[in-house]
Amino acid sequence: MPKIPATIGELQALQAALAAEHAAVYGYGVAGALLSGADQARALTDWQAHQEARDTLRAMIVKLGAIPVAASAGYQLPFPVRDARSARRLAAALEDGVTQGYLGLVAVTNQTLRTFGALAMLPPAKRAVAWRGSTVAFPGMPSAR
Amino acid sequence: MLAASTTTLPLFLALSACAGPNPLAGPPPLSADVRALLRAVAAEQNLISLYNRTMAAYSALVPALTPLLAEHQAHLAQLRARIIEPPGKSVPGKVTSKPAIPGTQAAALAQLRTAEQAASTAQLQRLATASPSLAQLYASIAASEATHVTMLDVRSSR
Repeated sequence: MPKIPATIGELQALQAALAAEHAAVYGYGVAGALLSGADQARALTDWQAHQEARDTLRAMIVKLGAIPVAASAGYQLPFPVRDARSARRLAAALEDGVTQGYLGLVAVTNQTLRTFGALAMLPPAKRAVAWRGSTVAFPGMPSAR
Repeated sequence: MLAASTTTLPLFLALSACAGPNPLAGPPPLSADVRALLRAVAAEQNLISLYNRTMAAYSALVPALTPLLAEHQAHLAQLRARIIEPPGKSVPGKVTSKPAIPGTQAAALAQLRTAEQAASTAQLQRLATASPSLAQLYASIAASEATHVTMLDVRSSR
């Protein structure tokens, strides 16, 4: 875990990344229930990865003397999720959201946090590709696509 | 979700006769962030050349590699868009590295994989001197290139 002094902007970026991880943890609960076999096993692995990332971000924020943003009681899904196909789409969308969440950290001036954010973008970008079956030119940066 | 800062801050190539104490002394040296940007442009051009030459040598790879090549072309366009070229000057467009294409398809894929991994690592090393907006572009391209490594691994295992 990187050791960092933080400004308000840096804390906000950490909180936003944490909020994205909260959303992913919730969303995988929805997706996993509609998947089976290898897809369900992958969803479980990815869900656990997001829980670990969430805990890391929480600890970083606490260490900075702030209160980590809490998970919402429920989340608005980006589209109806009723079957395995839409569950896989949801998983890809969740990973896109998390990648975008970490991209915000890359914009801070603190080099340690910037590097942390850039490296943290890699796993969700790869997981999004695994769920979608195709790549995108600018992970986490939809405006550039 | 956090909306990424996408403010575009083009970097000026310090090649024109802009304000300075002595216009006859030649152009001022390029700043570290402009030099890094030019290196990123050159790296994308080299990757695009490698993809084109690999696809020319192994036509069976064209369907799998075409989407990845298109993404590198998009990266190059975004990187070049961050540079404002003074009238009469242009960003160098030549390929600076042209390794031979290996004699087998598997080795050619492995060479692409190595190049993608190196490119992704290099993008991350450019973060330190970059503006926030440019750092986000480098990080996004690094993530894209990391996903290309994964796709090439999948293709190699078939």
